[in-house]
Amino acid sequence: MQPQLIRELEGLLGSQAVLSSPVDLMLYEYDGSVDLGSPQCIVFPTTTREVSEIVRLANRYETPIVGRGAGTGLSGGAIARNGGLVIAFSRMNRILEIDAPNLRAVVQPGVVNLDLSRAVDSLGLFFAPDPSSQKACTIGGNASENSGGPHTLAYGVTSNHVTGLELVLPDGEIVRIGGKNIESSGYDLRGLLIGSEGTMALVTEITVRLMRKPEAVKTLLAVYDTLDDTSESVVAITVRAITPAACEMLDGFTLRAVEDYVHAGFPKDCAAVLLIEVEGLLEAVEAQAAEITEVCTQFRAREVRAARSEQERALLWRGRKEAFGAMGRISPMYYVQDGVIPRTRLPETLRRIEEISLKYDLKIGNIFHAGDGNLHPLILFDERDREQFARVVAAGGEIMRHCVDVGGALTGEHGIGMEKNELMPLIFTPDDLALMERVRAAFNPDGRLNPGKVLPMGKACGEIRVPRTPASAAIST
Amino acid sequence: MSGPAQVSLSRLEEIVGGAQVDAGAEAAAAREVCGVRPAVVVSPENAGQIAEILRFAAEEKLAVIPTGGCTKLGIGSPPTRYDIALDLSRMNRVLAYDPHDLTLGVEPGVRIVDLLATLAVKKQFLPLAVPFADRATVGGIVAANSSSPLRHASGAVRDFCLGMEFVTGEGKQAKSGGRVVKNVTGYDLHKLLVGSLGTLAVITRVNFRTFPLPPAQGMFVASFSSAEVAFEYCRAISHSVLMPQIVEVADPSAARFLFSGEAAASIAPAEWRVIVSAAGPPAVVDRSSRELGRMASASKAVGFVSVREAEESAIFVGLREFPRRVLEFAPGAAIFRIGVLPTTTPSLLNGLSEIAKRHGIALATLTRASGILYAAFLPQEVSRVTPNPLPGTVAEVFRACNQPETQASAMLEWCPTDLKTSPDAVWGPSRPDFALMRRVKNSFDPQNVLAPGRFAGGI
Repeated sequence: MQPQLIRELEGLLGSQAVLSSPVDLMLYEYDGSVDLGSPQCIVFPTTTREVSEIVRLANRYETPIVGRGAGTGLSGGAIARNGGLVIAFSRMNRILEIDAPNLRAVVQPGVVNLDLSRAVDSLGLFFAPDPSSQKACTIGGNASENSGGPHTLAYGVTSNHVTGLELVLPDGEIVRIGGKNIESSGYDLRGLLIGSEGTMALVTEITVRLMRKPEAVKTLLAVYDTLDDTSESVVAITVRAITPAACEMLDGFTLRAVEDYVHAGFPKDCAAVLLIEVEGLLEAVEAQAAEITEVCTQFRAREVRAARSEQERALLWRGRKEAFGAMGRISPMYYVQDGVIPRTRLPETLRRIEEISLKYDLKIGNIFHAGDGNLHPLILFDERDREQFARVVAAGGEIMRHCVDVGGALTGEHGIGMEKNELMPLIFTPDDLALMERVRAAFNPDGRLNPGKVLPMGKACGEIRVPRTPASAAIST
Repeated sequence: MSGPAQVSLSRLEEIVGGAQVDAGAEAAAAREVCGVRPAVVVSPENAGQIAEILRFAAEEKLAVIPTGGCTKLGIGSPPTRYDIALDLSRMNRVLAYDPHDLTLGVEPGVRIVDLLATLAVKKQFLPLAVPFADRATVGGIVAANSSSPLRHASGAVRDFCLGMEFVTGEGKQAKSGGRVVKNVTGYDLHKLLVGSLGTLAVITRVNFRTFPLPPAQGMFVASFSSAEVAFEYCRAISHSVLMPQIVEVADPSAARFLFSGEAAASIAPAEWRVIVSAAGPPAVVDRSSRELGRMASASKAVGFVSVREAEESAIFVGLREFPRRVLEFAPGAAIFRIGVLPTTTPSLLNGLSEIAKRHGIALATLTRASGILYAAFLPQEVSRVTPNPLPGTVAEVFRACNQPETQASAMLEWCPTDLKTSPDAVWGPSRPDFALMRRVKNSFDPQNVLAPGRFAGGI
């Protein structure tokens, strides 16, 4: 990158808002997964106007631009794959407005997901999308990736909770789409942009819906001696059209790692547990909890118990949400996948993952959003073992193909990014992809905004890319 | 009449077969869009035929509009060109229904009434209680983003549509999304098609998640002496722990379109009504009934009734069919569909009512508490002496909605064609994001084959 650009950026933002030393750059070369890419410069704007000016400046130097929130993403969305400039939104972290009567909040992109829920907690409100990284991840990142979380089973993903966006387009123009209203005339651009993984525009302000906290919440833990009984219970809950707010599965292997770390009270000698939450009016919660208990018992759950206190409930959820972190205690690295399957295919899919684990002699933990069929197989590995890593990639590819074969999808909430873009042809035809490329070009004609993401870069159909293994970054601690 | 471009029927007959090409006046009249008639109506049976037709149209510089039940062709601006009407009613199959997974894939020509019947067998439903329910098809409902009172609890098409297959204006078959309930694989192009009025692509398959029918439900009507107190009641509901299925506010003039028989007889003329329905286990409905009643008295309601089952479905149909009933009563009506916020709705309603009074025109409004307001301006007997008050009314309504303190987003969903003098007269003043929409249009339909001129910003 031209030193002149860095000087101009410093002139624009002040030297406190520009990083370009090798050590600083290293901290921004990775995200929450296994991909890497080194930017040449990181800038920290505080206003939309600054973002627009940065973009115009970068365009003069024909430099790639990548937006970044907290860097917790799991598909490389915030990684500067082709180098260039990273616009980090961590200083645009103000909640601009809480409009409780209309159940809306207006936030800057760097606001941390959980901070918004905390800010409106005393009003009896919350922001529904709740990714496991919610203590760190930003709402700008949530909007870019269309993030989910355990409770999206009942409440929907980020796209269902955003009514308006302010954008800086790749040419520097500032545009607003939508607002506080649930709809506005014209094409639903917000539906397109949310989940576009930062490849069409930089989001500089987000208007979100706030939800009223339910009157009652009941958290159930169902403990099983076989994986089949666990997954059959999930199918039965779906078949009987019971709609819990969350329905998470943790297998025994994962559970033991979690329990040693979090001490949440998970039994360590079981095959799997379901963590199920029902919410709503007291009467509805009681009726649903009774039905769920009946189903789980019918499928031979060893025990179904309800969290007796808020602390117990919080601990169970902490166990779930910190499970990925807990895996770091038993393996140097893990590779997490995000495939989705029709919920009725869960039992056979878990059996298939077990076969794949044996075939490639790899440890695979399963901890995932069972209620919406969103798998998170965690393949454990040691990055120093190149041969093992090749098996990890092959096993991951086989799991992915299985998801596609049963009518599923490559990713439920983590995004395509630079991790799965070469797998897109497993789902989409050349015509599908060509149209997606044209729509992206309608916003990002030069492809300088977040290059190398989402769409395949022209390798053979279905070829699995071997990610560069990280040299310096430990992602799972 | 200056007819549309000359269309080679033989090529179309090659694609779909002679029996599926109708160049008769009757077929064309049934598919008229804002006074413009197509030269020919073609009935394809699959996406491949649609792709061929669109490629042919692009070569010949013909314009195409997809149609289904023909219930919403009056929405939007008049097309600048219109040669071929695609009649998608033969594409009316349910392609995949997995009740155990609560997912569904259908062709666009499926009538919603048939689909809901299929789902009801499995005790499921889609929250698409939309106008013209007896004839409306899934493709049309999606393309017009028809409004449903059930949105309050279950969301709109954009929320429960999982993916679509479609044919672009270039005649390319494409898809986005998928069939599973959670999915971020690729760009959500299908979201753009919701409400696009057929200007981007012809929808050939829509995948939805389905919803379980609630075991019990109940409907309640609270009456109020003014809009302010009626909306205060809505606020109390939205800030309570109750999670009703429907919350709708009808002004005094809307009553005649919603209530009939016994309910109509018991209605005092000057009252505002809030219609609430609660669903779930019987205990939830019972409790909702008690609390809604209590909140109604606290909000100074002048009446609160629990609606009997027979009447409940009649009122539900009234809410669902509101725009249709207005149009049947007054074909010359102008009906706005306005995105609103709870806090600004009462003052906007006041403003609308003043506009109506100033122009000597009647107004009936139905507000969905989820944030959609229908405002129907009903012209009196057409007089040859006084000028038509509607054009002035329309302009003032857009101005009232665009006040910064109101932030309402209006479009004129239904009105006589002569009011549609410019795109802005239908879609409201152009906004900066219209330029982005035009770029999106160009990427789907670069030769402007699909419904040219029918959409916002002259797209």
